[in-house]
Amino acid sequence: MMHPAEIEFLAENEIIQIVPTFNHASHVHLICGSYGPFRAGLPLNVPIWVALNLRQKKTCRILAPDWMTVDKLQERLEEEKASKFFTQLPTNYYLEITQMLLTVAGEDIPQGNDIKTAVKDLWDLRIAKLRSSVDLFVKEGRVQASLNHLTPMEINSVRPVFPDTLDALMTLHEHINSSDDREDSSQSSGATPSSTSFSLSL
Amino acid sequence: MDIDIRELIDDEDDENQEEMTAQKVLENVERAWLNEKFSPEILPHQTDYVECLLEQIKGMEGNLAKLSKTDPKVDLHKLELERIKFVITSYLRTRLKKIESFCVSVLEEEATRSEEDKYLSPAELQFAKEFALNADNHFDTILRHMPQLYNKLDRNKKIIEPNLNSFVFLKCNKHIDSVIIKNTLEGQEEEIVLEDSSQHLMPYSSVAEFVKNGTVQLI
Repeated sequence: MMHPAEIEFLAENEIIQIVPTFNHASHVHLICGSYGPFRAGLPLNVPIWVALNLRQKKTCRILAPDWMTVDKLQERLEEEKASKFFTQLPTNYYLEITQMLLTVAGEDIPQGNDIKTAVKDLWDLRIAKLRSSVDLFVKEGRVQASLNHLTPMEINSVRPVFPDTLDALMTLHEHINSSDDREDSSQSSGATPSSTSFSLSL
Repeated sequence: MDIDIRELIDDEDDENQEEMTAQKVLENVERAWLNEKFSPEILPHQTDYVECLLEQIKGMEGNLAKLSKTDPKVDLHKLELERIKFVITSYLRTRLKKIESFCVSVLEEEATRSEEDKYLSPAELQFAKEFALNADNHFDTILRHMPQLYNKLDRNKKIIEPNLNSFVFLKCNKHIDSVIIKNTLEGQEEEIVLEDSSQHLMPYSSVAEFVKNGTVQLI
């Protein structure tokens, strides 16, 4: 089981651009990689957790990622509406990154509120899609699904209830099958419950 | 004085006789952490990587102590160490939880494995044995006070096993030609191809070997 904060933790490893307000000539050799040099006014790439830390100390400005504009997000939204499947997003952590950057560096990002709404719309749309496919999946009694381009946070929104439901269904069916076998050998009767008798509504 | 992580890395390489940067080690541990979190059974231990990271942390902490507190990078290094420690402790705790839950079955399976492919680290094995012993002692103490009819405990009934057929989300790191999935509902088997970097939902038992050899990442 994954806590949403742990997914945010993973999102913090993504790289974004900052503009430092201080000078530090040498690279900082972190275990996860080397970053630098820090020159006031010159943008450079760092992991989000570094960016947030520096921003909180007011020693840098965060540049919004390319996809984080109202226009770009609207495009994504239209694409998502038009597609039957989940579309590929520019990052696996769009919701978390938006949330973190707007919370810590709201002033650095133009049209913050509109971006928040657009990201929320995108999330709602994808989650609605996810729920209807979960419903279909369970009703059809399948055992494998492709979930391309689904992000960790989206997956986590149906966990643990979705996999647990499937586990329970499988266990029930195993019991039904084994008791069917016994009945078949003794009196060959008994209604076979079909998989359609179970349904899941989330 | 300047911290040079590359020096530490070079040391590691000499010891391990393989080309691996601290960054790669960290990525390996992070992957192992996620796999361990989502897999129903305990996975082969990654003590080598964990030990390596712990040594890095120790070295780094030593170097940080020598730096002046006003240096802007000190905070970043400290923060990073905390992040890495969090991953390591969460990883180890997840494993301990599984050992406690499935103690008897974990020990039984471990006994059938050869010295080279043990799933538990020596320390974990010791913990598991002590835990099993303490649990047994505890049950014995309680059962002594029960009426005679009930003061025996069937050993087999104590065994709790992980459900290896439980459903997991996964991502492929490589193309896999064939994965067999048992369909309990229809009593038959399905065979599918997993394409590179595709994501799926399926029973853990179908991909267990791929999780262990690293071709599949649980998500």
